[in-house]
Amino acid sequence: MLQRFNLRLLALVLLVGLGINLIGFGHVLLALRRVLSAADLSLLLHLIGVSLLILIPASGIYSLITEFAFWEGWLEGLPQPEQLFATVESTGARHRCYVVYLDGIHQLERDHPPRVSAFLELLEQHLENQALLVRGLETYTVLPVALAEDAGSAWFWRRLFALQEQHPNGLMRLLAAVLVQANNVIKVGISSDRRYGPIMNYELALKITLRLAEVGFRPDAGCRVVLVGYSGGAEMAMGVADYLRRITRSPVSIVSFCGVFSGNQVLEQVASITTIVGSQDPVAAFGRIAYPGRSPLLPLSNWNQALRKGGVQRREISGMNHNGASGPFSETFRLPVITAILAALQPAVAAPEQTGY
Amino acid sequence: MLHTFEGLLNSLGGWLIHVDPGLGLLFVVGASMSLSDVFALLANRLSARQILVRLLLDALILSVAFLLNSSIDMVLLSLYATEPVHPIAFINGIAAALLPACFYIAVAAPYIGETIGLVIWVLMHLNVVTLLHVRFDLPWGQALLLSSPGYLFAVLMVWLLFRQGWRRGYTMLASEL
Repeated sequence: MLQRFNLRLLALVLLVGLGINLIGFGHVLLALRRVLSAADLSLLLHLIGVSLLILIPASGIYSLITEFAFWEGWLEGLPQPEQLFATVESTGARHRCYVVYLDGIHQLERDHPPRVSAFLELLEQHLENQALLVRGLETYTVLPVALAEDAGSAWFWRRLFALQEQHPNGLMRLLAAVLVQANNVIKVGISSDRRYGPIMNYELALKITLRLAEVGFRPDAGCRVVLVGYSGGAEMAMGVADYLRRITRSPVSIVSFCGVFSGNQVLEQVASITTIVGSQDPVAAFGRIAYPGRSPLLPLSNWNQALRKGGVQRREISGMNHNGASGPFSETFRLPVITAILAALQPAVAAPEQTGY
Repeated sequence: MLHTFEGLLNSLGGWLIHVDPGLGLLFVVGASMSLSDVFALLANRLSARQILVRLLLDALILSVAFLLNSSIDMVLLSLYATEPVHPIAFINGIAAALLPACFYIAVAAPYIGETIGLVIWVLMHLNVVTLLHVRFDLPWGQALLLSSPGYLFAVLMVWLLFRQGWRRGYTMLASEL
């Protein structure tokens, strides 16, 4: 019933959005008609269309270059899985459960936005002693450097960040923010792509493992890893889970909240999957439409197979949206989301041997 | 004997000059398709020189695949169509019909790439069917039927070539774990 309501809400949001766009587009056309002839206008629209057709795939292809140059060994720093735990010095305390937080597409740098940081601090306070929260992972870069230090595109990102923070025009600031987030959306697209996903997910799994090793994780020590992903972070969590399981030789579970994910990833060996969804979340509902792997029309997709095997737990939070004042990081929904995450973590902390590896 | 051979070479040279635009376009199509698969070569951790050689070889193989596709169409047309088939005009026409594949490089784009690929393949087939319908005065159904075997052959060739590259890449990835 609620699912149907979600879909109706999504359809309504899409229709309203389309209507607003058409009105805006009509006004822009009217304004342009005053200064341009019909033929010039037609040419302009064609040029914009062709530019978009070229720009969108080109930005996707450019985004792939770093991942594959890293895999090729043309960029320094791709670690060997067997050396990961040998070279990194442990910081000391051992835990039974390592909770790795993977942020949504709003993440720009290692530090999370203030609302997310407040949420994570609260989550950390509620975690049991034997669980450790690993935060500050840059989910959408595979290199061990920040986006603003990326070898090929540092100049671009630095200018964009400067525009986003300092430009006097609000529209420009918004456009810059959208462009930064578009980069992260492309990474989600790469992760869910059947051709490129395996290599990018493997590289990200190596990066996560390196971080786990730094905070004291050791394979074969009876520890578990739980990937907590928000929004696009859920897709990244599902992408890396199987690689992480093999590299760390430990059971890996996934907890997503407001998750947008493809359902293409290898999930059969994942110990458990919990999805926490908001009843008013149109973005997560859109994910079910945008990704064919989640559709019941493809019963053999990895996601549908995991659903059939009963490996997916769904928890719904009434009234929660994707972000903003009713989002999971808002004061209203922060605690319910944390409670749901803790409930999903419970078997993982208490009895790792029950779910098996 | 030598004269016959020289005559053969001369006629082949003349034919090649006439189909030059068509063959050139077929090579561009092959090159664009080959470039769309460059990340599979990177996934195999080939060196820069190996990648360049493979790109060139793949482009040639794919051009030959489309040439064979055209040949299959020509054989079927000469068997079932009433209009005579002129190879030079036909290859030039087919090459023009395959023009959408010049943008096949966009298939390398993540996530949307496969959809772009599907659209390009459908457009190419529609173009060839339209060409047969217009040039040979064939009904739409028959044009579709006659052009499909060659088209399926080209699809199979491209699929086999690209799939092999990715499989080797994934095997390499699996060996790392």
